[in-house]
Amino acid sequence: MLKVAIVGCGKIADDHAAQIQRIEGCEIVGVCDREPLMAQQFYERFPVKQHFSDLRDLLCDAKPAVVHITTPPDSHFDIARLCLDWGCHVYVEKPFTLCEDDARTLIALAAEKGLKITAGHDDQFRHAARRMRALVQGGFLGGGPVHMESYYCYEFGQTAYVRAILADKRHWVRRLPGKLLQNIISHGIARIAEFLSGDSLEVVAYGFTSPALKRMGESEIIDELRVIICEQERTTAYFTFSSQMRPALHQFRIYGEKNGLILDQDQETLIKLRGKRYVSYAEKFIPPVSFARQYLGNLATNGRSFLARDFHMKSGMKCLIESFYRSILEGDPDPIPHSQILLTARIMDAIFVQLDARQQQPVESRVQAPV
Amino acid sequence: MGQTERDAFIIGSDDLILVTGAAGFIGSRLVSCLLDLGFLNLRCFVRPSSEVTRVEALAGRRREGARIEVVEGNLLSREDCNAATKGVAVVYHLAAGRGEKSYPDAFLNSVVTTRNLLEASLRDQCLRKFVNLSSFAVYTNTKKPRWRVLDESCPVEKHPELRGDAYSFAKVKQDEIVAEYARKFGIPCVTLRPGHVYGPGNEPITGRVGIGTFGLFLHLGGSNAIPFTYVDNCAEAIALAGLTKGTDGEVFNVVDDDPPSSRNFLRLYKQQVRRFTSIYVPHFLSYTVCYLWEQYSRWSNGQLPPAFNRLRWHANWKKTRYSNEKLKTRVGWMPKVSMAEGFNRYFEACRKGVRDA
Repeated sequence: MLKVAIVGCGKIADDHAAQIQRIEGCEIVGVCDREPLMAQQFYERFPVKQHFSDLRDLLCDAKPAVVHITTPPDSHFDIARLCLDWGCHVYVEKPFTLCEDDARTLIALAAEKGLKITAGHDDQFRHAARRMRALVQGGFLGGGPVHMESYYCYEFGQTAYVRAILADKRHWVRRLPGKLLQNIISHGIARIAEFLSGDSLEVVAYGFTSPALKRMGESEIIDELRVIICEQERTTAYFTFSSQMRPALHQFRIYGEKNGLILDQDQETLIKLRGKRYVSYAEKFIPPVSFARQYLGNLATNGRSFLARDFHMKSGMKCLIESFYRSILEGDPDPIPHSQILLTARIMDAIFVQLDARQQQPVESRVQAPV
Repeated sequence: MGQTERDAFIIGSDDLILVTGAAGFIGSRLVSCLLDLGFLNLRCFVRPSSEVTRVEALAGRRREGARIEVVEGNLLSREDCNAATKGVAVVYHLAAGRGEKSYPDAFLNSVVTTRNLLEASLRDQCLRKFVNLSSFAVYTNTKKPRWRVLDESCPVEKHPELRGDAYSFAKVKQDEIVAEYARKFGIPCVTLRPGHVYGPGNEPITGRVGIGTFGLFLHLGGSNAIPFTYVDNCAEAIALAGLTKGTDGEVFNVVDDDPPSSRNFLRLYKQQVRRFTSIYVPHFLSYTVCYLWEQYSRWSNGQLPPAFNRLRWHANWKKTRYSNEKLKTRVGWMPKVSMAEGFNRYFEACRKGVRDA
C-alpha cells in the first residue's frame, strides 16, 4: 500500500483526496495544514488516518512515501525541499515553484536522492489532451509543430477566490512575482512547453489591467496577457490569458506542416484540421460535414467515458497521479518530463520580468507613437 | 426605547458594540436597529471589498452623540481581529462565507474567522456577550414525522459533510466552535438561527421553494411552510438576543409569524414580479430523485457529486412547521413588519431588479 500525505488543506486538496481515493493500492496516511482547524475539517471529511499542523510531525509520524503539496505557491519550494530531504516523492501543485532556479534546485535534489517529483499540470492528462498527444506522437501533424495557440481564460466575478484577491491587498496571490497570472497561467503555458525543446527561446509579453478591473479600483493585478514565443525561428506560439474575452476559452491549437488539431478543454473535444484543401466548391461543403461527424464522434466518446464512470471533472488529475505513482512503484517514465517543468518555469519567468519592467515605467512612456 | 426597557439590557448605551459583516444584508439593518435602540458606540467591521455605502449612510443619519466607527479588515488576520475587538462589550458576529461551493473555503471563512474572533475577544476581558449568527441550515430533520415542529430542541446535523452543502457544513462547525469556547473559556454566547431571511437586497427565490438549476423552475416546496423572516425583523431579533439578560448559552430560532406555504409564495411571486413556467415535483418524486442521485454518486465514485441527497431533502423539502415561541417569551421579540408588508417591500425590490436586468 502506497502511503500518501497531503500538505495544505485548501480547495485543491479536496480534489487530490477525491482522486487518490479512486486509485487502488494507496491510502492517505496524513494531512497537514498550518491552521489546525483546516487540517481537522479535512480529516473529518475524508478517510485520512491522522492530521497535523506541523509538517515535520507529519513526516515523522505518518511516514508517507509520497507527499502532495497543495499549499499556496510561495511555500512550494521550502515544503518540497523538506519532503525530499525526508526521502519522500513529491507531487507539487501548479505553479511548481516561483522561478526556474527553484524548480531546477528541486529537480536536482530529487535526482540526487533517487526520488520522483512532478508538477500538477493535470489538464494535460484529460481525455481529449491524451488523445491529442497520441496523434501528435503518431505523426498526425506531419513533423514537429509549426505554430501553437494556447488560450487560458478566466471569468471574474463568479468566484469567491477572485473576490477575495481583489478585496484583500494582503492576499497571498499579490505576494507572488507574477501575482494572479502566476497562480493561473501555468496550465496554458505548460501545453506549449510540451511541444518545445527549449533551445534559443524568445518570449515577448504584453500585459495590462483590464478596464473592468480598473473600474473596480484595481491597478496592481494584470488580467490581460498576450505572449509570443519563438523557438529558433522554427516553432512559434501565442499564449492568451484574458479575464474579459468571451467565451472564456481553455483551448489549444497546434499546427504542423500537414495537419492541425484543436483541443477544447471545456467541451473535452479534439478536432482534426485537414491540411489539404478540397477542390473548388467541395471545400465549402465537405469540411462542414467532416466537422459535424467529428463533433458527433467526440460526443460519443464523452458519452462512453461517462457511462464507464470515467468522466469525472478532475479525470486528468487522477490520470496524472496514477502515472506518477506508477513511475514510483514500477519505474515508468516521469509523467511530465522535467525538461517541460523547467521550460514552463522559464517561460513564466520571462513573462513576469517583462511585465514587471513595463509596470516600473511611467504610464506616459508606455504609450507608443502611432505607426 | 424607554429607560425600563434599557435596564433589562446587559450593557449601557455608551458601551462599545462590534458588528462583523456590518455592510451585509442583515448587518446593515442590525446597525440601524442598534442605533434605534439608543446605542451610541458602534464599531462596524467590514471587508475591504464591501459596499460600505450602507454603513456610511447610517453613519450619516446617526443621532447626535452616536459614534459609528467603520473598520476595514479581514477576520482571517488575528491582528485585525484584535483591533476589532479591543474594548468591545458585545460582539455581533454576522460575517460568514456565503455562497461558497467549496467546503474548505466555506469553512475558512466561517469557522477559522469565528475562532480568531473568539480568541481576540478573550484578550480584553470586557466581553459581555458574543452573538453567533447561525442558520436553520444546521438542523437535521430526519427520523421525525412530517409536519412536526422544528424548534430549538431539534438535533443538529451529525454528518454535515454528507449534505452536499458547504454552507451548512461550515455553519454546523461554526456553532460547534462557539459552544467549545463558551464551555472552555466561559465566553457568554448566544446563537441565533434564522430561517430564510428575505427583503430588499436578497431577491433570489429560496431553494426551499424550488430550484432553477436545470433551466426550468422545479417547484419542490408544494404545501410546505417556508420559514421566512423579514430582514428588519431578523435584525431586531439578533439585536435583542444579544442585549437581553439571561440568554447566555441559549439558541433562538428566528422565523416570522404565519409563514406562507411554498405554493402560495410562488403564486404571489409570479403575480407580483414576473411570470415564468414552473413544474411542481411531488415530494415522493423529489425524494426518489435524491435517493437515486445519491446512489449514482456512490456507484460512480463521485462522477456527479451528491448535490441532491436525502439529508438535503429532509432539511429543505420535508413538510415541517416552525416555532418562534422561545424568541418571543425569552427575549420579548415581536415581528414588527408583517408578512404582507414584508412581501410588498420584497416584491418591489424584485420588480426593480427585473427592470434593471
